[in-house]
Amino acid sequence: MDLENQKRVLNISEEFGAENVVVLLGASEAEASGLAAETVTNGDPTWAGPLAGVQLGLTVYHICEDEIKAEVDPAVYDEQVGMMEMVMDVPAIHEEMENIRKEYCKYL
Amino acid sequence: MKGYPVIKGASYTLAATPDMVIYNGTTQTTERVVNPSSEYLVELPKHLRSYEDVVSYIPNQVYIGNATYEDLAATEFPYYDKKWNDAKEDGKFGCILPEDEFYGIMHICDVFELVLLENGFAAEIKEKLAKREWFTDEQLESLLKNNADETELQRLVTEEHSEGLYIGEKLVGVVKRAHDVDVNLSAHVMLENLVSKASNVVSLIELKKKNNFDPASVEYVIDCCEEACGDMNQRGGGNFAKAAAEIAGYPNATGSDVRGFCAGPAHAMLHAAALVKAGTFKNVVVTAGGCTAKLGMNGKDHVKKGLPILEDCIAGFSVLVSADDGIHPQVRTDIVGRHTISTGSAPQKVIGSLVGDPLKAAGLKITEIDKYAPELQNPDITKPAGAGDVPEANYKMIAALAVMNKDLDRAGIADFVKQHGMPGWAPTQGHIPSGVPYLGQLMDDCKSGKVQKAMIIGKGSLFLGRMTNLFDGVSFVVQANDHQVGGGSATAKKEVKICKTANYYGTKIAFASEGSEHGEDNIDLAVELAGKKGIEAIVSTGETAHKEMEAALADGTAQAAVTMHYPFPIGVSTVGKVITPARGKAMYIANTTGTSDTDRVAALVKNAIAGIIAAKADGVENPTVGIANIDGARACEKALKQLKANGFDITFAESARADGGVEMRGNDLLLGTADVMVMDSLTGNLMMKLFSSYTTGGQYEAMGYGYGPGIGEGYDKLVMIVSRASGAPVIAGAMEYAANLVANDWKKIADETYAAAHAAGLDDILKSSAPAKAEAEEEEEDVPMPAKEVVTAAIPGIEVMDIDNAVKALWKEGIYAEGGMGCTGPIVQISEANKDKAVAILTKAGYIG
Amino acid sequence: MAILKDKHVIIIGDRDGVPGPAIEECAKTAGANIAYSSTECFV
Repeated sequence: MDLENQKRVLNISEEFGAENVVVLLGASEAEASGLAAETVTNGDPTWAGPLAGVQLGLTVYHICEDEIKAEVDPAVYDEQVGMMEMVMDVPAIHEEMENIRKEYCKYL
Repeated sequence: MKGYPVIKGASYTLAATPDMVIYNGTTQTTERVVNPSSEYLVELPKHLRSYEDVVSYIPNQVYIGNATYEDLAATEFPYYDKKWNDAKEDGKFGCILPEDEFYGIMHICDVFELVLLENGFAAEIKEKLAKREWFTDEQLESLLKNNADETELQRLVTEEHSEGLYIGEKLVGVVKRAHDVDVNLSAHVMLENLVSKASNVVSLIELKKKNNFDPASVEYVIDCCEEACGDMNQRGGGNFAKAAAEIAGYPNATGSDVRGFCAGPAHAMLHAAALVKAGTFKNVVVTAGGCTAKLGMNGKDHVKKGLPILEDCIAGFSVLVSADDGIHPQVRTDIVGRHTISTGSAPQKVIGSLVGDPLKAAGLKITEIDKYAPELQNPDITKPAGAGDVPEANYKMIAALAVMNKDLDRAGIADFVKQHGMPGWAPTQGHIPSGVPYLGQLMDDCKSGKVQKAMIIGKGSLFLGRMTNLFDGVSFVVQANDHQVGGGSATAKKEVKICKTANYYGTKIAFASEGSEHGEDNIDLAVELAGKKGIEAIVSTGETAHKEMEAALADGTAQAAVTMHYPFPIGVSTVGKVITPARGKAMYIANTTGTSDTDRVAALVKNAIAGIIAAKADGVENPTVGIANIDGARACEKALKQLKANGFDITFAESARADGGVEMRGNDLLLGTADVMVMDSLTGNLMMKLFSSYTTGGQYEAMGYGYGPGIGEGYDKLVMIVSRASGAPVIAGAMEYAANLVANDWKKIADETYAAAHAAGLDDILKSSAPAKAEAEEEEEDVPMPAKEVVTAAIPGIEVMDIDNAVKALWKEGIYAEGGMGCTGPIVQISEANKDKAVAILTKAGYIG
Repeated sequence: MAILKDKHVIIIGDRDGVPGPAIEECAKTAGANIAYSSTECFV
């Protein structure tokens, strides 16, 4: 994850409390989603950014996951994400996200 | 302005720069700052590819044009562990070059003494680069200036903030900072900019070399890379375009830079197409070099997964956009997609604005575009980095849009992706993948008829500049040429009806139409007129016109060619055919261009023979020959008469003037007294223009059959010349003339006629065509003048230069004579009583025939 | 319990997936407070 983004994730978590923060991802693939999710929960796996070794355990979802879709206005969701939902491998992304959440999320 | 702008050429180049990955890629430079002892930095060098591996990498071979996207599609993914069997450094569209030579090119591109190379290295590179024949001697010499030894280079790196240039561990050069304080001129920025410039230069050079056009014809160059040049007072001051074009040798170009992140090239293509469409410029080049920053950008993932570092090349590309030539693919400047400020960032909105909206406005279905070229990033690079297969994702989105628009059934998505898409092969150099890597292959696809319409899509992430959160993109349709040059916007290919009942049905003539002064309409009309006679004209235009014409002649596609200029060898000259005004009779003018011989008299004699050949091959059974009354006519007459006396079949015409003779006066030209009018080719050329355009006032050659075929001994190509001022009827006339020559087996007639001339002693006759003069010169003695008498008789037919000698020859025999100028040329005057004797003397001495 | 309502949401979009602003539009309808939104670019 981009270093600037890691810095902002860290600052916001400190400001509002990690339990009040949710991270939403838009990555195009399961693997990249998993890496981003791992970064905001267990710390930067590449050990390059401010989140290296920082286990925030934030709640994290991909925008395409049913849990999130259920909370969003269907018309808006369809307009903004509908097409990518067709293009992306949603089940694979969900599976990857589930694994990360089960392992590292602290606030579910 | 007629027609759509065309894509006339494209070049794609790569410089393999493994050491720049380590020292200049931002992933690596950042890592050295935040985590200098990281395992990645230790592992990285082991994952760098050899130059051979870079060359044989299939996506790279597709990029430079040695393999196609279809070859890549047939390759099992991933690509990094496979090699292209027929891999070469040089490709149809460009080349791959090694790091050391690239450093040398950076040195050549540097005009502020910022790049220093190690002395020995510089000399070595000079030799290597000289072999490419890319640079002038002066540019190559500059490589030996402004260099240093290794100790000094090392000092510059450690003490002066210079950026090192490495080959492996060895420091072979540096880029110095251009200012001590200004960060915009720091060594880091200067290196980035010089790399961009150097890779841009390589592509611009390959563009002109691989596409055979005159770089002096390029008026404007647009750079669309992602770098910025300028000092602290104008950070993005710019004009990489002009800087690169200067080094690459485009002397008449100015230019500017267009920026739009990864969408830059697509924006620049629109700029170029609009400039050409508006008629502002005829030839515009869109060009970009690559960037060091993105080298090894996804390296961490590649190393982690045991892959080689695949982002190890600095890329470049150039595209020539020109006025419609009736051949090359056209940029539909009226089918353009735009991501607007209000479009938003939702993927379907983005793809809708770039694909759905413009096609809908043009009345096209999404499925009517044969190939889409969105960003063509190589998935071998992006997939292991978790960025997915970018082109494939785009194809799926386009397919999904087609489903939403009901242009496609949902079940057809996978097929759509396969049929309308292609796997990505472009290096992830930011702007490089922006749809444009397909333009080279698109030229081939349009030529072969595989693709009628394609769409080029560029997308840009503006938010990376922290100025806006907006996304961006533009797109445009490219179509196979509609052959409607002159017709404006077009929807269907214009049919030239070829009359099947006409005499010449089936005759194919290659026509290089480049250079006409009367525009494309004139060409179209000429083709139509020829078509009515059954002749099929294969028209080529633009800089490659001659090449295509030659190819059509060589492979037999065409039996003859018509062109506006042609480099005939000495010994070949053209026989024109005009309509004479007095009786509307056709007349052959021998000759009208070219040089049949460097000796004037020999040239006239050979012109007469060529004229006879052309007239016979055109169907005149027994052509009469007259010699225009010009300098050398008498000697020519003499030689021809000798040929005839020796058995060469020639029928002389008789002047229509009262005194007759073989010498033709101006009156005879207008009358067409002789079938074949012999004259030198300069005079003939003048006559052609007079005879072709006297009815129009001069500028438009409306009558006759043009300057005719090049005829010479052993010359077996049938190339007809017309003028840039030739109007459609003359061009069509030239095609008809050619068709006749083909039908009558001109080559056989030429061979037979030359053989007969030789049998009649042509060579000896030409050798002795000016003997009188030579002998006379030897007799430079004082001849006493006989008693003067009244001279009323005249002997014509003596060369003006020989008059004095002829007079003296007569004096020597006791005959008083005077030289003079009669109404048909020089004469020797004698008394009536002496005339017969004088004729006999002059004939014997060789002054008259 | 809702995941997004009244939460401070950090959005990490993807240029070639779902970009940040598109996710933002969605999250707003779920009553989230957008703390930060960005879009990553791998190419």
